[in-house]
Amino acid sequence: MNPAEIAENASAPPLMIRGVVEPRLEVHKFRSGAVVGSCFVALVLQAFVPAKVWKGDLVGDLLELPLLVTLYFGLSRRNPARGLLLGMVVGMLQDGLCGASGANPIGLFGIAKTLVGYLASTIGARLDVEHPASRIVLAFAFFHFHRLCYVLTNRWLLAQSIPWMNGKLLAASLVTALLAWPLFALLDKLRRNED
Amino acid sequence: MFEIATRRRPYVLLAIALLFQILLLAVQIKRPDGARLIRVWAVEMLTPAERAGAWLLDRAGGAWSGYIGLVRANRENQRLRDEVGQLTLRNSELESRAAEAQRLSAMLEFRDAHPDAPLLAARVIGADAGAGRAVYLNRGQHDGVQPNMAVITPEGAVGKVLEVYSTTAQVLLLTDKSSGAGALLAASRAQAAAKGTGEPLLLLDFVSNDQEVAPGERVLTSGMDRIFPKDLPLGTVVDVRPGSDFKQIRVRPAARLDQLEEVFVVLSKKTWEWEVGQPGTPKAQVSSAGASRRGGTVPPQTVPGPPKPASAPAPAPAKDQP
Repeated sequence: MNPAEIAENASAPPLMIRGVVEPRLEVHKFRSGAVVGSCFVALVLQAFVPAKVWKGDLVGDLLELPLLVTLYFGLSRRNPARGLLLGMVVGMLQDGLCGASGANPIGLFGIAKTLVGYLASTIGARLDVEHPASRIVLAFAFFHFHRLCYVLTNRWLLAQSIPWMNGKLLAASLVTALLAWPLFALLDKLRRNED
Repeated sequence: MFEIATRRRPYVLLAIALLFQILLLAVQIKRPDGARLIRVWAVEMLTPAERAGAWLLDRAGGAWSGYIGLVRANRENQRLRDEVGQLTLRNSELESRAAEAQRLSAMLEFRDAHPDAPLLAARVIGADAGAGRAVYLNRGQHDGVQPNMAVITPEGAVGKVLEVYSTTAQVLLLTDKSSGAGALLAASRAQAAAKGTGEPLLLLDFVSNDQEVAPGERVLTSGMDRIFPKDLPLGTVVDVRPGSDFKQIRVRPAARLDQLEEVFVVLSKKTWEWEVGQPGTPKAQVSSAGASRRGGTVPPQTVPGPPKPASAPAPAPAKDQP
């Protein structure tokens, strides 16, 4: 039984998996257009804010809204297939926006966010990710996981040696983690109320 | 169905998604040399297969060509065997011609060394079917050949003409039982008579027991038989044994009588002198214009210095008369 099946059976009584009793995990559903709209806004802001509001690379490097959106919907929907597909689409669109300035070929962010979406969905099916502290920790960890995937892909395919960790990236990871708290709370408003 | 597949196999979908994006990247990315990454990967992936295919094709082609090569090699082997046979035959023929050329060269040299000697070159065309002590020449009456003419080679005396026909002549070899020649020992100039025995060796008769004769001593023609030129090599002493009256001396003929192919017929009935020890040098001299076998005695000046021993033999021709 895979995590997706566990998530679908969340409304059932507690399941016995390998002798461990897992708590009941809720699969959240969102209002129509919420996922697409959220991703679109995140991508637009990711491209618009560094270029038009705060000009400079610093804001662009610190801000990772598409990553947070991918992470949130992966954790909330708890479906690895949907999570990886969402991550792939968001990542490729981000590559496309970055590619306009000649930075990324399409697929670099796509691969990283595909893995983030899959892993977040898998983790979301096993852990309680509703607590703000866990959300901040997960955002911090996934930022570096995303960065690691991005760096490895760059080195493998483009033979470019870019840093995985430095002071700026650490600051960016902290900013992203802190931003996850209000952003995830805002996105919680888009959930469909089953009751 | 897609839902079922994605629920049961999410990692398959993950692999597909990643593969799709990696290929998409490979299409976009260019190497420093300008080649797209997807092309480099394709080449690197396909090259081992192509190499394996080429290796298999080479092996298969090699085996097939090896089989065909074996068949062809068999034919080639047969053809080469035939060619080797032909070349061996040709080689033998050429060797024979080379030997003939050497013999003819020696004869030509002999003839050039005796420009005044009336020598007629002849080829041995057959042997006597009986005792085998006579041969036939391709020269006859039309060429001026007459009975009792001497037949010689550059090595020495061979025999005398026995019968003459229009285009051929029969030669009685020295080794025939009925053959003989006037002889003298080269060292002592002692006169003797060489007789055929029907065997390869000649018997030198009428040499007194007190005459010093050693094996290896050369024996020359004496000219006393009125057939052979004087001082022509006749043979070499093989062994000497004392006899009741005369020594029993056996002589190996100088001419290779069992290998005769080309000979000279001495057309003139004059008496010739060959210098002792130098049978090939041009020292032939006409010593008597009228001396012949029929003419009787040899003029005194044709007989060299050493005194004729008391037991000097009579000339052999009387015995050789056919």
